[in-house]
Amino acid sequence: MDHFPTNWGRPRNDAFDAYATHPIHQRPYNGPKDTFADGVQRTQSGWSITNPFVPSDLVYRQPIVTGSSVLAIKYKDGVMMAADNLASYGSLARFKDVQRLHQVGNYTVIGAGGDMSDFQYIQYILEELSIEEISAQDGHELGPVEIHEYMSQVMYARRSKMNPLWNSLLIAGFKDGKRFLSFVDLLGTTYTASTLATGYGAYIAQPLLRKAVEGKEDIITEEEARKILEDSMRVLFYRDARSLNKFQIATISSAGVSISDSMQLDTTWSFAEDIRGYGAQTQ
Amino acid sequence: MPDMTSLAHPQQRAFNPYTENGGTILAIAGADFSVIAGDTRQSEGYSIQTRYAPKVFRLTDRAVLAVNGFAADGNMFVKKVKQRLEWYRHAHAKDMPLRAIARLIQTMLYARRFFPYYVYNILGGIEEDGTGAVYSFDPVGSYEREACRAAGAAQSLVQPFLDNQIYFKNQVPAPGTSHPAHLPLPTVLSIVIDSFTSATERHIEVGDGLEIYIVLAKGRTLHGTESIGGMQELTTTDDGERVFVVRRDLKKD
Amino acid sequence: MFLTRSEYDRGVNTFSPEGRLFQVEYAIEAIKLGSTTVGIRTPEGVVLAVEKRVQSPLLESSSIEKIMEIDTHLGCAMSGLTADARTMIDHARVTAQNHAFTYDEKIKVESVTQAVCDLALRFGESVHDEEAMMSRPFGVALLIAGVDELGPQLYHTDPSGTFMRYDAKAIGSGSEAAQSELQDKWHKQMTLLEAQKLTLRVLKQVMEEKLDHHNVQLAQACHTAERL
Repeated sequence: MDHFPTNWGRPRNDAFDAYATHPIHQRPYNGPKDTFADGVQRTQSGWSITNPFVPSDLVYRQPIVTGSSVLAIKYKDGVMMAADNLASYGSLARFKDVQRLHQVGNYTVIGAGGDMSDFQYIQYILEELSIEEISAQDGHELGPVEIHEYMSQVMYARRSKMNPLWNSLLIAGFKDGKRFLSFVDLLGTTYTASTLATGYGAYIAQPLLRKAVEGKEDIITEEEARKILEDSMRVLFYRDARSLNKFQIATISSAGVSISDSMQLDTTWSFAEDIRGYGAQTQ
Repeated sequence: MPDMTSLAHPQQRAFNPYTENGGTILAIAGADFSVIAGDTRQSEGYSIQTRYAPKVFRLTDRAVLAVNGFAADGNMFVKKVKQRLEWYRHAHAKDMPLRAIARLIQTMLYARRFFPYYVYNILGGIEEDGTGAVYSFDPVGSYEREACRAAGAAQSLVQPFLDNQIYFKNQVPAPGTSHPAHLPLPTVLSIVIDSFTSATERHIEVGDGLEIYIVLAKGRTLHGTESIGGMQELTTTDDGERVFVVRRDLKKD
Repeated sequence: MFLTRSEYDRGVNTFSPEGRLFQVEYAIEAIKLGSTTVGIRTPEGVVLAVEKRVQSPLLESSSIEKIMEIDTHLGCAMSGLTADARTMIDHARVTAQNHAFTYDEKIKVESVTQAVCDLALRFGESVHDEEAMMSRPFGVALLIAGVDELGPQLYHTDPSGTFMRYDAKAIGSGSEAAQSELQDKWHKQMTLLEAQKLTLRVLKQVMEEKLDHHNVQLAQACHTAERL
């Protein structure tokens, strides 16, 4: 049942333009549509600057400078997260020294894919929040659970205003002897699991991570965890056109938070020339 | 001339604030109990986001709510219902009765008639008169009390099975006998488990884990369900209705 | 009380140095000028009775209405400035209807009483520079009678926003004599009929005029429905 009266339209004979009295682009559209998405688009209150025929509320927001995958896994002593240093401008590898892992408070790291300016705004509001919490000096400290709840409320509130922060976020932390790992995205969707991946990582790396980690969360050592993430980042670099072979790893355990310096992935391309149609073959 | 502007192709596609997160929920009412269940897989498209995201929530000692559809809306909705239940407890010095919760859910859903919570709710529990009850809702608040209901990704697989097994649709009783009005708890539990193992086989969005909540009327026991292990009690008060949960594995492929 | 009157009886929300709110106390005083109103709770239901002061033979006594229905299971009798009571009963009715709409159940007697008392406390309340909605306390006391899942109940509210539950209560000009009479005659296992008779007997004792069907109004809230 379509619950939006504005979508109910007129009786079928009216909607069918039997004599083709309308230009093609105004003809009734009878294909499948997402009634829930269409039904809630707000009525116009102004007009787009770039296109005066488009209401301002309906201006299609899109991410501009984007980060790709973020990966994270739980291991024996804590949580580990990885993201490369690339911020793309469409297909252009625009910024190659961007940090997409961000420490919040003493126990948490937040990693972001999606729009990097929105991520910078998120870093800003989390910084404001941290300052507020610290200056209260009330014995409360922001842990990963609190930061996850806060971010999920912020992301859901923005999507409900039809003005989302265009990101997929991973939140990892360790506090009071407990590991924490969760996901929040631009729709306010949240979940937790022992392995998480955003963007293309969800398709390419997540199966590898699950195979390596599921059921072994309490066995995997720090070294093993680092190896799992490195291997996954390498596969992503081979397969994801919006990725870079330069990345960082954040480790969060009882020892606190540490975000590594940028590391270079060792990759092999020598096999490429053997592939017909790839290298400089003559025939 | 009909107004075609709303039908014209949009110049640019606006932001879609909804998604579907799969999974299935179901509830069955007995004479003096109610069973509410859901799988724990959360997905988007072909990706499994997590193998454990609860869709069934204990609200009070006599009410359990299952929520299915857009997970972000579902979680927010449950959060707001729980908040309203607490306010009610403070204002009226009692737990909200089941039918009052049902009506509350309607008003909360309908309040968002023009930006709906994209969720299908099933409320199960015990009424004030001690009978088992199931209420089902659509996203904008239409609701009715029923004996059983399935919703979500595998609704089209599970509901016909329940119609046959609970309402005895397309079954003819043996001469001189009649179909029972209510089934015993052990029978209901095996129907629930079979529903989910079957849905897991045939629907890609169903699987990973199963959570079954059981609400018992005052004075009733779990008698007869000993074969189902891992039953965990969640009741907070004495000599009232009781709530239990069972967690089981479903296939993860 | 009047001996200590000072500058502190001007503002409705200014305490005196002794910790008193004079305007509220004066409002409670105003009730004692009102006609006598009696309420009795029995296991079967609650009976309310009021005296109507028919000031003139030309007055239509049926136009004096001092007992009103809040909902099918709730009744209310008043004493004091009856005009003020209309605002309160209006609020009580809206609260009861809202509750029924949202929760599909009858509101509890205590809950509706609480709602009325919340309103009673809102005198002198203003936000920022806005005018206060109410400038003074209500000058009326109510007896709210009703039946809910906890059985028949009788509540008394006064202008301070305080409410209390009673087995039997009298308010208004003859309340002192009436209350002591109630204290003497009330017993636990009273029937509705006995309660009706008792309210009338009590009113008869404290009324100056001869009691007849023009100058009293009677109502009861019992398990089936409220009846006027």
